[in-house]
Amino acid sequence: MLEENLLVVFSVITSGLLVGTIFSVVAAGLSLIHGTILLPQAANGQVFLGAGLLFWLFGTEWEWPLWLAVPTTFLIIGFLAFACEATILKRFYPLEDRNISYLIITLGIAQILSGIYTGTFGRISDTFQVTAPVNGFAIIEPVPIAYTRLIAFVLAGSVLGGLVAFLRLHRIGRALRAVFQNREAARLRGIDTLKIYRFAFLLGTAITTAGGILFALAFALDLTVGWTISLITFSIMIVGGPGSVVGALVVGLVFGFTQAIVSVFADPTVATFAYLLAMLAMLFIRPSGLFAK
Amino acid sequence: MRILVIAMVIATPLVAIFGLRNDFLVFIAGIALIHMLWASGLNLLYGFTGLIPLTYAGIAGISAYMTVHLVMRLGLSFWLALPIGSAAAALVGLLLSLPAIRLRGFYFALSGMVIQSAFTIAFVYFPAYTNGDTGIASVPRPTGFDGGAIPSPYMECVLALFVIAAVAGIGLTMRSRFGRTLITIREDEDLARALGINVTLNRTAAFIISSFIAGLGGGLYAHYIGFASPRAFDVLISLNLWLMVAMGGRGTLVGPLLGALLLAPLPYLLVQYTWVKDVIYGVAIVLVTLFLPQGIYGFVLKRKART
Repeated sequence: MLEENLLVVFSVITSGLLVGTIFSVVAAGLSLIHGTILLPQAANGQVFLGAGLLFWLFGTEWEWPLWLAVPTTFLIIGFLAFACEATILKRFYPLEDRNISYLIITLGIAQILSGIYTGTFGRISDTFQVTAPVNGFAIIEPVPIAYTRLIAFVLAGSVLGGLVAFLRLHRIGRALRAVFQNREAARLRGIDTLKIYRFAFLLGTAITTAGGILFALAFALDLTVGWTISLITFSIMIVGGPGSVVGALVVGLVFGFTQAIVSVFADPTVATFAYLLAMLAMLFIRPSGLFAK
Repeated sequence: MRILVIAMVIATPLVAIFGLRNDFLVFIAGIALIHMLWASGLNLLYGFTGLIPLTYAGIAGISAYMTVHLVMRLGLSFWLALPIGSAAAALVGLLLSLPAIRLRGFYFALSGMVIQSAFTIAFVYFPAYTNGDTGIASVPRPTGFDGGAIPSPYMECVLALFVIAAVAGIGLTMRSRFGRTLITIREDEDLARALGINVTLNRTAAFIISSFIAGLGGGLYAHYIGFASPRAFDVLISLNLWLMVAMGGRGTLVGPLLGALLLAPLPYLLVQYTWVKDVIYGVAIVLVTLFLPQGIYGFVLKRKART
């Protein structure tokens, strides 16, 4: 009995860590975009889902090797993001209160994408399980973990670590942080804010794409995941503070563990309900979030 | 002139009803009329007060479930259940949105999106009242004076009366002092405060009226199509009702009617391919925001003003 309880505790910890890290990655991408461009990317869940679905299509359905499937997914989504920035998003940069237009536009894009997925992938199947590139389990302490989940966890952690290092150390990363601390001052220091905006959107989208691929590697996908992820990552961003990668990381992990613990006792939707309440409370009390400077 | 345009727009579905004598087209005309009612109510908040209520469909949903519950479980008359359900929905919406009403543009819309998502989850996870994702089927049609269900061409006329009443009510409201106050708030919130206008109070009043109309539409919708499900009242529906107002022309009486007439029938004409509707609506949202922020009717008005 004690043994069994211990097993439950450990599996909660491992799945909480994995889910939380993936949440953090996607929320960090969202937060980066919103912090820099004032663009609440409501279609981020659909980008995430699209990445997972394309990865599944190339890697599992068409049986391409990983070295081809992963870069192709990134290229396609990167191209679409680039086109979207150049044709739509760019037009709103001069506007002071552009975030409301952006929210509506990205919701519209989310509706387009979700319609397209239903009309294409929705006809193939209900759930999409990526064939594991490696089989088997690693035994960590008492619990076995599938290698794919371990790999997903390590990679998600590296994405986050890489992002933090990039923002702190690299010249462009520092320029990016300068823009979200103070647009005017950054411009006066000779930073080309428009280029930084484009870069931030592409980087944020790439991070979301990575999150989608890693999620598809660790769990099965279905077409409702897009909306759920949008809700969860928006909650994380608002609670953690838009623009704060550390906020996304901490709150993402907390939410991941909440999800894992709640799943033991009740429907995971209860957890989603809790996120929404947390986000609402934060919007009313302190819209700048917990980790804002 | 404006009255004439409004009459023509409302008459279009009525012509479909009496002119074509086709059951399916009559049904679509009824759907368009309900969306006209919804869009007019949303316009009071978005067009005239300047707030985007992404909770709108959720509030309509609360009223729909409440009305259905009162009629099917407690045996109340539809015409008694409808105002009760609508008032209850407006009250619930108000209680949840009260803190949000103080927030400006973007944060109001975002908290609306959150509250709407919470509504959707609640609709799915309280199956005792909503029957979950399956929805409640065979909801009876509203009853007439003889106690039987109102048959089809007459039911649509009742819906048209609701639209006319709502449009007339909103038109009169906007001519009153209250209506002008709302427009002041929309144009410049800081100026309104400086003039001594209680912004929160006036917004709250607009929110209640708008939610009540949402509730009326919700109750009518569930009993008209005979079905209530969470998907009929989710965030995309709020967004698409917003689109009807924005595409038709925000802040005008004609705009929302026009938008609803153009967009509402689409999902029912594309029953086999509902995903196509999502793509069309999504593209319309992007295009309207980019190129036609004042909507079709607003564009026509501007053209006319120039010549």
